[in-house]
Amino acid sequence: MVETLAQGSTVTASAFAADLPISRQAVAKHLAALRQAGLVKGRRVGRETRYALHPEPLGDAAGWIAHVGAEWDERLRDLDRLLGADSRRD
Amino acid sequence: MDDERREVKHETVLRAPAGEVWDALTDERLLGEWLAEEAELEPVPGGRACFRFADGEEREGTVLRVEEERELAFTWARPGDPETEVEMRLVPLVSGTRLVVVERASSTAPMAFSGAAWGARLAALDRAASLMLV
Repeated sequence: MVETLAQGSTVTASAFAADLPISRQAVAKHLAALRQAGLVKGRRVGRETRYALHPEPLGDAAGWIAHVGAEWDERLRDLDRLLGADSRRD
Repeated sequence: MDDERREVKHETVLRAPAGEVWDALTDERLLGEWLAEEAELEPVPGGRACFRFADGEEREGTVLRVEEERELAFTWARPGDPETEVEMRLVPLVSGTRLVVVERASSTAPMAFSGAAWGARLAALDRAASLMLV
């Protein structure tokens, strides 16, 4: 579950249960445990609660590393493109 | 886990000389083409570093170190968040420039978690992880 969340999506408990071979109730328990550990944040959207990895810099190291790493990947691709476009060399 | 060394490191070789790469790191207009949507940077120690990103997020911080065409380091943070340090080092190569970027939890920012608190969080993670293995 943490891996799915680390990919940046927000997911509901039902969506998790649909993907995993455990009951929706069990998923809800796991999410509660993760929320208690401060690893995920839930946000109510209508009747659902959507969960996302809590991007706190001094909290979950893996989440922070994934999130910040992805940001730099994108920036450095844009920098490479920018420098390539400016270049007049062959 | 050492909670004082949260960092990511990226290395890339850019097909441009160090001078051009340096411009891209210190010219506000060029920074707005890759690092953020809009940038303000005073490239001197103590100078302002402000950024606005495409999703509207804003970060502010202070320039720490500047060594022309070699190193630029600054802190940044969203309002209310702990700061992180961004360090960019340039190494000239025959064929271009190596850029090494490190972003780390700032050594000057107050640590949100003491060793004991971190231990408790790891124990909670362990419990949560073992639940998932059932």
